[in-house]
Amino acid sequence: MARPTPSGLTQAFQALRLHPSSTYRPVTRCLARQTRAYATEVEGQQPPATTQEQVAAAPEIDFTNFSRRPARIIPASPSYFSGSPRFIDHVLKLEQLQAKYASLPTVAAGEAPRMAWFKLAQFRDYVGEPVPMKKYKSLVKILQRLNRIQPAMVPGEVKNTLESFLRPGNPYAVQHAQRTVDENGRARAKGKRKESTAVVQLVEGEGEVLVNGKLLVEAFQRVHDRESALWALRCTQRLDKYNAWITVHGGGVTGQAEAITLAIGRALLLHEPGLKPVLRKAGVITVDARRVERKKPGHVKARKMPTWVKR
Amino acid sequence: MASSWCWSCLSRLRTTPTPRAILPAQSITPRISTASFHSSAVQYANPTKKKGSLVAVKYRQGQTLRRKKKKTTERARPPAVGERKALRKRIVLSNPNALEVEGMKDLSLETMVDARLRGAVLGLPVPMLDQLRAVQAFKPKQGWSIFRRPGTVLRRDTLEMGRLFEKISGEGDAAEKGKVVKKIITGLKGSGKTVHLLQAMAMGFLKKWVVVTVPDARELVSGDTGYSLIEGTNPPQYVQPNATSALLMRTVEANREVLSSLKVSQQHPALKGLKPSSTLEDLAKLGFQDAAVAWPVFQALWTELTATAAAPGMEKDFQPRPPMLVAVDGLAHWMKESAYRASDFTPVHAHDLVFVKHFLSLLQNGQASLKNGGMLLYATSTSNNPSIYSLEVALDQLAARQAGTSPSSPDYPSPEAYSGADARVLDLFKPTTGKEPQLELQTLGGLTRDETRGYLEYFARSGLLREEVNETWVGEKWSLAGGGIIGELEKLGRHVRSTAKTVPAAN
Repeated sequence: MARPTPSGLTQAFQALRLHPSSTYRPVTRCLARQTRAYATEVEGQQPPATTQEQVAAAPEIDFTNFSRRPARIIPASPSYFSGSPRFIDHVLKLEQLQAKYASLPTVAAGEAPRMAWFKLAQFRDYVGEPVPMKKYKSLVKILQRLNRIQPAMVPGEVKNTLESFLRPGNPYAVQHAQRTVDENGRARAKGKRKESTAVVQLVEGEGEVLVNGKLLVEAFQRVHDRESALWALRCTQRLDKYNAWITVHGGGVTGQAEAITLAIGRALLLHEPGLKPVLRKAGVITVDARRVERKKPGHVKARKMPTWVKR
Repeated sequence: MASSWCWSCLSRLRTTPTPRAILPAQSITPRISTASFHSSAVQYANPTKKKGSLVAVKYRQGQTLRRKKKKTTERARPPAVGERKALRKRIVLSNPNALEVEGMKDLSLETMVDARLRGAVLGLPVPMLDQLRAVQAFKPKQGWSIFRRPGTVLRRDTLEMGRLFEKISGEGDAAEKGKVVKKIITGLKGSGKTVHLLQAMAMGFLKKWVVVTVPDARELVSGDTGYSLIEGTNPPQYVQPNATSALLMRTVEANREVLSSLKVSQQHPALKGLKPSSTLEDLAKLGFQDAAVAWPVFQALWTELTATAAAPGMEKDFQPRPPMLVAVDGLAHWMKESAYRASDFTPVHAHDLVFVKHFLSLLQNGQASLKNGGMLLYATSTSNNPSIYSLEVALDQLAARQAGTSPSSPDYPSPEAYSGADARVLDLFKPTTGKEPQLELQTLGGLTRDETRGYLEYFARSGLLREEVNETWVGEKWSLAGGGIIGELEKLGRHVRSTAKTVPAAN
């Protein structure tokens, strides 16, 4: 580049956009660099030679001889020109692994360690490509196959690869503490139904029930609600063997009663796990997860449309 | 009739009937095409009516519009005035379809204190039913009409009350003749407060007490009966002549036997038609005809009934007066301002009605007033109940005193600041001094399991309940009835329903 020189000539060159090169070429050879000369000027008159050596530009690329010359420029990923190169790369890599370790012994599908693979949306975020559901499923199939390799013999390569497809904070790795009856003989359980939540403390007793500090008759005026609240105890004929201390909030009367049903059923299971088939048959174990459907814009309620009016 | 043949040319004058003027089909039903600028989508349109084929005008059919005349259906006349209310208030005490319960005992002087009969249903003696009806002890919707004859459970509270009756009458071991017991009866809805009063009345009749009742406290403050200012009272007091007259009639009707055996023993200068030989029944009857003197008559009757000795000169046939039972139902109505208005249109407080005041004053000075002893039972109600904060506080205080909390202790409940609690109400329930016995609070709870079993067996033996009454089943109903609340048990017992199939437990 131009070095700062005491002479103002470089500046003059720059102002004129004249790029002096080391090998001087006549102006006529390069049309782009043709500068306008005065008619009186003598063609071929050269600037002083001292400045030419100081200002050196990069050498011109010579397309005629590369150091190593491919037939054409190849992208790094072989699936560069497909719609979802990164996804296909993953698939290829996994297939390669599968083929490589196909001979390793496997365990039954049920015995393989439970893994929380990415959900579809998460996987799309991970690869940054719009992967279709079906294709992702085929990928998960390969993952599962790799996961079935006997845990003691899993190669580190496979282990690392599989771990990169796990949801963060692997939910299946969390071990839930088994609930038990506490040292005072209380079994505590929760139940939900509609908008209501009930918490029941069940102890052995004589069939006394308190709901939010009130008697059952005060809490539920309808006999039907009372029956459904105590259904778990009633259908197992344990009504006179336990006392229940219940807190319930939210929702309406029926919802509260049925939330209590569920909670008492769960609490009873802590005391007597053997009752599970009976309770399941009585419909106490099954959770009714239905909630109120939301209202939609343009509708009067969740589904109802306004009446049709002409004009 | 002229022939249709033309005589000149022998041809039919009109071979074809005259063509009728038929309107073009389109013009009969104008086609309404849908406009193309609807704002709502066509798919939400009501389904269009099927276009029927055009109504062919029949031969010789009239074209005029014919409307069917509306038939005036003969409707049943509405029931006469008061009939609906009478139907609503009707009290049916017997059901001939129900089975007679064999071996059912009657309430009697012996059975009412017999602890062995606890949990059994005792029938009310048939001759007493008229008396109980007269004091309006039965209320509609108490389920009397589903059994062959009315009966009540002998529960723990009933037995205790029976013993109290014995004690006050001067019988039994620890006799306290002439004592006054004052009780406020509370409890949950359906816990049997009104029936408890009924049992008390029945016992009162058995013991030949004088029973005075106010079956519905609300009637005195709801503005339904006439009232008038007593001249010269300050603060102004009001008398309710018709209500007093009705009270006298109730009392005489129910206690005729007792009252007719007692003679007048005091001077009543205000009552002119009274002879020295007349009975208390005659005295009370003075108030029947003339409602204006009903209140003075009631006061005279009260002095007669609470007298311990005759006035000088009238000792000839003075008999000792029996103890009295005063029963009031729906106490909370008396703790607020009534629907009556003073002359300046300010509401009249219930305590300014002399009738109400008389009965409420017994809570403070019952012993002083009822010298021959007796029992005051004032029950609250939960079905038709005004919410009165000061009464709640007063009852809390009463409960705290009963539990042994001293009124000076910080745990003693007191009305909240700025709650505007009624001082007159709080004063009424404040602890009494001197010889006056303290007011008691009796909270009725549920029946015990054994009592529940006896009660439900009564349903079964009446043919209402077709289930095996065993320990498990009773325990289940006991829990469902919130720990044996008797009103709820009655509901469960009377429901004819299919039994819930219980799944036998696995272990």
